Parts: sequence; structure tokens; C-alpha cells
Amino acid sequence: MEWIFRNDLPIYSQLVEQIRLAIVSGVFTPGMRLSSVRDMAAEAGVNPNTLQRALQELERQGLVYSQRTNGRFVTEDANVIDQNKRALAQGQLAAFLDAMKKLGYERAEIIALLEEEA
Amino acid sequence: MPILECRELSKRFGRTTALDRVSLSIEPGRVIGLLGPNGSGKTTLIKLANGLLTPSEGEILIDGEAPGPHSKAIVSYLSDKEYLPEWMTPKQLMDFFQDFYADFDRARAEEMLARLGLDPAQKVKQMSKGTREKVQLILVMSRRAKLYLLDEPIGGVDPATRDYILDTIIRNYNPEAAVVISTHLIADVEPVLDEVLFIQNGQILLQSSVDSIREEKGMSVDQYFREVFRC
Amino acid sequence: MLGKLLKQEFRATGRIMLPVFGALLILSVFANFSIRFLDSSMSDSAVLRILAVIVLIFFGFAVFGAMIVTLWLMVSRFYRNLLKDEGYLMHTLPVSVHGLVWSKLLVSLVWFIATGLLILAIVSLTALIQSGTNLSELFAQLPSWAEIKALLSAHGIHSGDITIFFTELIALILLGSIAGCLHFYAAMAMGHMFSKDKILLSIVFFVALSFVLSLATNLLGFRLHDLAALTVEKGELEMLIFYERRLLRFSLGAALLQGALLYFATTLSLRRGLNLS
Repeated sequence: MEWIFRNDLPIYSQLVEQIRLAIVSGVFTPGMRLSSVRDMAAEAGVNPNTLQRALQELERQGLVYSQRTNGRFVTEDANVIDQNKRALAQGQLAAFLDAMKKLGYERAEIIALLEEEA
Repeated sequence: MPILECRELSKRFGRTTALDRVSLSIEPGRVIGLLGPNGSGKTTLIKLANGLLTPSEGEILIDGEAPGPHSKAIVSYLSDKEYLPEWMTPKQLMDFFQDFYADFDRARAEEMLARLGLDPAQKVKQMSKGTREKVQLILVMSRRAKLYLLDEPIGGVDPATRDYILDTIIRNYNPEAAVVISTHLIADVEPVLDEVLFIQNGQILLQSSVDSIREEKGMSVDQYFREVFRC
Repeated sequence: MLGKLLKQEFRATGRIMLPVFGALLILSVFANFSIRFLDSSMSDSAVLRILAVIVLIFFGFAVFGAMIVTLWLMVSRFYRNLLKDEGYLMHTLPVSVHGLVWSKLLVSLVWFIATGLLILAIVSLTALIQSGTNLSELFAQLPSWAEIKALLSAHGIHSGDITIFFTELIALILLGSIAGCLHFYAAMAMGHMFSKDKILLSIVFFVALSFVLSLATNLLGFRLHDLAALTVEKGELEMLIFYERRLLRFSLGAALLQGALLYFATTLSLRRGLNLS
């Protein structure tokens, strides 16, 4: 996968978001073994400590889990993945609605536009 | 225990003060950017850590000791100068490093030479400036040192080599070793760093983690650096 | 670590000294042929004779040149390897300053001795061959060891004294060479403690050190003359031996003292005042 970082946010939180996105969108499939921190850090071109912290945060959120000897894996819990996917979708929707409101669209008009587009 | 510690460290050359009561400490497992404009004291600090200069006041400790044979055995230093004897070949230089540094990993050096397409039998004298820099870097990065002091490692190299160097630093990562990178090309190294030290006129302006600068200032270290050192 | 430093130093200097020795040997062979050719009237060809003379001149230059190269190498290895850019490599090795200085010193000493012995061997062999001396005849003419001993003991000199004399003489040559090298090293190390005019300052320090050392030696030396003067009433040869022995011992002591002081100045300058730029 391609890693792109913005300038105005901590690298740590961008890593969390990008990996979360990779998991909910299926780039990282459930139960998949993640590469070692060193390899993943090299691939993303980031500091290994920063990546380590991002993975720990994802572990805390239940999106990845580690097995003491085997390394880290993407969760197999479909519920957790769905919840995250939904949360991300809601975030996108909120931003979208916010932008549309600024353009002066009412809720009904937005729905109509969306149906037209589809 | 910090791997590198400065206490009220000053260095004067005649009447000019190159370092002015610098106190700082660097823990193992960190990758640190030493950032500052030209002439700010970066190279002086690194030379003091290598025992190539002696402090005017204060002290500098590597692994708890003043620079000497013990510290030199655990510090791997990339100078901003070309310092390889011209009559030697990479093969002879590897023999030399293997002789003197117990932590030199020859297999790794040979692999890096091959990866960068360098001839182990070519004399340094016949190499281009860029090739010499690559050989120096390979020798320095092939040691399993406790402290890497890299003075402008990506200054003069092409983008492909620069990426290779940064990749090597990441893959070389060891929780017991610290890496100090002095540079003015901040944007390139920023994602690789844990912490940055801003240095100006021989004084440390700031020691902070990259992400806390981004968090607090809402901008990259590179952008923040430009703001702080705007002229 | 000294062993490893010596190995590296021999590698770095051997690549220059060995070809010099090789050239010297080859030229000496040609020189021998040239002398023989000039001696005999094998050919009256002026061109060939001029050629032979040119070979001889080259040989003379080569002998002189080998000595210069040995001396130059002693200075330039210290300067380039420890005080210029290569110093970044050498001074970050996990070795002490003492190791760095001794490796340079010992290797220079070995090349001094090797050059000296080689030139001595070549010149004396050439002389022997060209004079047509039969070696066994020569040795037969030399007085036997027993004869020498008898001659010497008539003057109250024992063979033990001879051993001591030669031991002291060799020690003096070695110590003197070491002190000589250190004179250059100390001057350069002191000159390079400064940020500007390093070479000029090195020369100034060299002259200053010469002055101080010769002054100190002379001050001590006068006392030796006084002591020697007291022995005038003894027999001539006995006095000469006594004087010789005194002079040798004194020179030994002076070389030792000078060497120690210069060594101290060199290592202190490198440890406390290193200023690579």
C-alpha cells in the first residue's frame, strides 16, 4: 500500500488512520499477519518507534492483536471491523453534509442529488 | 542511562563561541535530528562527542564516560569530510574496520556494496566524490554501534541513494542504539525521526518529539523550523 | 591494538618503501656493470660510456633519494594520517593516542634501519666487488678475535667493555632516531593545535624546539667537559676511553630525556589540543 503523510498532523495519528482504513477497506484482510515493525516502518518510511505506538493504539482499539511469539495480526472479529467501518463512514458523511450545508443545500435536496448521481 | 549526555558544555575557538553551555541527553533507541543553520554548532557538537575536539568548559559523556577508546568502540561516526585514505580499496577498508571495530558486520557491508553497485577492488583515489561518500556511509552503517553520529549524511547524494540511506537507518534500528542525524534537509528525514534538537548560535533552542511539534503547532517540523529560523 | 596499528602502518608505508628498495637494488646492479664497463676497455663507444656514467649518477641520486624518501615518509605519514582529513578516521578508532604515536614511530624506525642497512650493504658490496677483493683473502688478513682481545686488554679494555660499548652505541642510534622523529611529530602536533597558519606554526615550533633542546643539552654538556678535564693526569688512551664512555653515556641520557619530553609534548598536544578542520 502507499503511504502518504500530511504536514499538519502528527505522523503517529496518520499511521493509525491509514492502517485502520487499510483494515476496514480490506487491503489488510481479517486474520492477516502484519509484517514486522522494522519492515513495515521501512516500507512506510517512518520511525519504528512511531509505528510501534500506532500499532499499540490499534491494538487498544481491538483492530489488531499480537501473539507473543508470532507477531501481529489483523483482527478476525467482523463486528469490530464493521463498527470501525461505520464510524469512518459516519465521519465522511458528517464532513460531506457539513460541506453541502455550507453550499446552501437542504437535506432533501442533498438526497435528491445523491440519487441523481447514482 | 543516556547514551550521550552534555552538561554545561561550551567550546570556544579563540574569541568565537561555537557551543554555549549546552546541556542535553539522548536515550538509547531514539533517532534524533540535530537541526540548525550553517555555523550553528552542529558539527562542533558531533566532533566533541567523537573526541576530535576537547571541551572548553563542561563535559560530554558517552555511555557515562568522557570520549576515549571506550566511547570510540561504541560510536560510529560519519564525518562531513572525505577521510578515507586514497590508496585503499573498499575491501582493504573492510579489513581495516574488521580489525579495529568488534561490532563491524562484514557481511552487511558486502551486501550494501553489492546493492549500491560498488566495486570492492576500486581504489578510493579513482572514485567519484559521490562514490566515496557511499563507501564511507556503508562502513559506518555496517557497524552494530550504540551511537551513530551522522554529520550531513544525505547532503550531497542523489535521491535514490538518499532513500536507500533512510531505509538503512530504519532497518538498522536497534532499541539499544541511538542515531543522531545532523542535517539541514529536514523534510527528507522528518518521518524517520523521534525527536529533534534545534540549535542556533551554539545554544539548544528546543528538544522535542516530532509528533508533539506537529500536534502543538499544526505544522511539520520542516515548516516550524523555517518559522523559527526565518531570516 | 598496537599490533593492528603497526600492520596498517606497514601496509601504508610498504607500498612506497618496497618499490624504492627494489629500484635501489636494480640500479645498484646496473651501476656495478657500468663501473666494470668503464674500467675495462671493452668498447670505446662514447655513447655507451656516457650512458654508463649516467647510470652511475642515477645510482648516486637513488642512494640519496632513498634516504630522503624515508625521512619524508616519516613526516608525511604523521601529518596526513593524523593531522589532516584521514585524522577523522584514525582519531575515532578505539585506540589511545599513545598507540597512534608509537605505531608511526616504530614503523619509521624500522624503515630508517632498513634503508641504512640496505645502502650500507649495497655500497660495501659494490666496493668489494669492484676492488676485486677476494673475500676469503680479506677475512684472512683481518686480525683474529683473540688478537684483538689481546691488544685491547693490554690497554685495560675487556671484551665485556666492547659489548657494553656496542650496546650503548646501538641504543644511542635507536634513541637518537626516535628523538629525531619525535622532534618533527611534536612540532607538527603543536602547530596544528591552532586554527590558522598550521604549517607555518609547525615550522616555528620545530625551530623553537631545536633551540630549547640544544640550549639545555649544551648547559648539561659543559659540566661533562669539566669532568673530563679532571682526568687529564691519567694516561692518554685511558682518558680517551673514559671520555668516550662519558660522552656516549651522556648522549644516551640526553637522547632519552629529549625523547621523553618530545613524546610528552606530542601526545599531550594530540590529546588536549586536537583541532582537525
